[in-house]
Amino acid sequence: MKRKLIGRSIRKEFNGWWAISLIGATVILLPILFVFSSLFFKPNENWFHIREYLLGTYVKETLILVISTGALTAILGVTLAWLVTMYDFPLKRFFRWALILPLAIPPYIAAYTYRSMLSYTGVIQATLRNEFGYQMNPEWLNISSLRGAVFIFTLFLYPYVFLITRSFLEHQSASFFENARLLGRKPFFIFLKVVLPLSRPAVVGGVVLVIYEVLSDYGVTSYFGIHTITTAIFQTWFGMYDVNTAMRLAAWLMLIVVGMFIIERLLRSRQRYHLPAKSRPLAAMKLKGMGAAAAFIYCTLVFLAGFFIPFVQLIAWAVLTFDKVWNDTFFTLVYQTLYVALISTLIIIVVAVIVANVCRKQTAVSYFLAKWITTGYSVPGAIIAIGVLAIFIGLDQWLAPIYEMMGMADAPLILSLSIVMLITGYVIRFMATGYNAIEVGFEKVGTKYTEASRMLGSGVTKTFFKVDLPMIKGAIFSGFILTFVEICKELPLALLLRPFNFETLSTKTYQFAKDERIHEASVSSLIIIAISALSIVVLQMVNKKVKE
Amino acid sequence: MKIVDVQDLVFSFSSEGEPVINGVSITIMKDEIVGVLGPSGSGKSTMLRLIAGLEMPWQGSIYIAEKPVVADKLFVQPENRGVGMVFQDYALFPHMTVGENILFGLSRLPRKERKPRVAEMLELVKMGEFAERYPHELSGGQQQRIALARALAPKPNVLLMDEPFSNLDADLKAEIREDLRVILKKANITCMIVTHDRADVEAICDRSIEMGQREKIG
Repeated sequence: MKRKLIGRSIRKEFNGWWAISLIGATVILLPILFVFSSLFFKPNENWFHIREYLLGTYVKETLILVISTGALTAILGVTLAWLVTMYDFPLKRFFRWALILPLAIPPYIAAYTYRSMLSYTGVIQATLRNEFGYQMNPEWLNISSLRGAVFIFTLFLYPYVFLITRSFLEHQSASFFENARLLGRKPFFIFLKVVLPLSRPAVVGGVVLVIYEVLSDYGVTSYFGIHTITTAIFQTWFGMYDVNTAMRLAAWLMLIVVGMFIIERLLRSRQRYHLPAKSRPLAAMKLKGMGAAAAFIYCTLVFLAGFFIPFVQLIAWAVLTFDKVWNDTFFTLVYQTLYVALISTLIIIVVAVIVANVCRKQTAVSYFLAKWITTGYSVPGAIIAIGVLAIFIGLDQWLAPIYEMMGMADAPLILSLSIVMLITGYVIRFMATGYNAIEVGFEKVGTKYTEASRMLGSGVTKTFFKVDLPMIKGAIFSGFILTFVEICKELPLALLLRPFNFETLSTKTYQFAKDERIHEASVSSLIIIAISALSIVVLQMVNKKVKE
Repeated sequence: MKIVDVQDLVFSFSSEGEPVINGVSITIMKDEIVGVLGPSGSGKSTMLRLIAGLEMPWQGSIYIAEKPVVADKLFVQPENRGVGMVFQDYALFPHMTVGENILFGLSRLPRKERKPRVAEMLELVKMGEFAERYPHELSGGQQQRIALARALAPKPNVLLMDEPFSNLDADLKAEIREDLRVILKKANITCMIVTHDRADVEAICDRSIEMGQREKIG
């Protein structure tokens, strides 16, 4: 009986769409599983050396970085979100969206901009010296430290917490707060005892995004000379070309990520982002005098430090170096970046649409498929990079006899030196960005139109092209932009997986900064910032649409 | 001829849950208009979805026009069953005009016959001049008539209607009931109408089936 039912279920649900989805999901999971498999290989002496003398430092610095940044972004993000939703003060409407802007500046760009500004020849010390004759102790402004990295990450990643908490508070029913007020409580008490506990799931969600970014980071940490597990993975590969040891480190990093997952579950306990269906939005309280001034100054300081000052500095440098940088080599760079990002994004969107379409019918299998295809986002880029690298090297070894037959024996590394490797890495890492946008699109449309089309004699595929696709156009568009932007500004994957001599905007920017040619990095930095700003605009548009 | 023949159907939404439909058998003859009555949760809409092929039963068999569509290992996809359905909220494709909506189901008709068939269907529901409109430009009653025309256009063996009056104003109900009966009779169609209102059944249907009891019915 049961077997007959399963057979019939397969007949009802299985088709080419499922086949493609399962293949896509396998390709995505393979490198991550491969990294884990390294734990079963016999370790070599490099590993013993690392474990004996270095691993302790790596884990310690990684944890300090993650915990401090997590705590500080939570404080900054929540207080700012609380101010712009609950109170009225000068320029509040401006700050409501301007405080998201730091997200447009990738932390590695912020890191070299700040370090350069604060250096001996930078604008701050030079001004003090030349205008005021004041010689400052350079140590005071030394940002190349763990503290400095926490500062950069906090200032440029807090918008994740801010955004999620803000939209959570804006959707909360006013009655909680008004009740608390009627019960005679002061706003600060309400913040502590009502707002914080209520918005805990939102805050935790935002902080988790921040921590993923920090764990994935290679640009800031390597530039500041900090030893995290991610930088160690890269150095093991770039310095020793030892894939197996790098994979072992990646497996360790993965353990930290899994630990975070568990902590996140515990912190959220049984709470979800629960939004009451029909709620009256909160009327903001007007701040006066000192209160208004304090709120204004706080927001202004964060905005200046997190966006305006580094942005203006970059423009100033760009003006100085524009003629030197703006040439054919640079155009090639832009072209290559856009080209790789475009191909990767197209692959992501096509796969995401197919899988999301299959997963619309909620079954146990589709639930796992959806989780599975989006794994890449919660796995730090370095792990994916090293997994992809190891698999491509393995593929080349495996295909070596075929290369030989084709008369290419003198070039035994074909796949692992090609752009295919980088594109594979991007697709795995950013599948979730595209998938989530498209899933939301499908959820909004529902299944009734699809069912109506089936009832009118159209099969799954025809229904998809004639009915589903036109209805999720908007979701596809926003998924495309968001994914494209993420890829354009991505650094660690590009550094590790690009073919020899292949540069993208982000790798070139990083290279300039590393070679202390800071000023020349500014033009490409500004282009990356402009592209990132595009995704913020799209996000805002989508949010507005959802509200309507 | 038996147009719909359902035998000992069992269905539940999850493997642990109480079956929504437990051993139901239904037979509908050609040109009958049958009402399916029952309180909410009695599984009457689910029954339509099972016949349509949008859900799969756990046990039992379904025959449409004397051909098996669910039996043993067999499962015929909804697009191949020759069943038409009018959804509760009509589900008219919002990105297509009224004419395109009706044309949508006619891909199996020779190209030359499609346009005349659309015109014929619009004539049947007295909406001839609305072919170029978009669904959101129509009133609820007009949308319902287009949904009906769209479902009838491919000449299905049987038409399934899920709560056809639930989205309409109460004072229009009597008039629309009468229109519907006329259209259905003119189209010569076998029809199953799910409703919770006994008055609907009395106004339109030849006979009725009660759902929500365990014993065999129909």
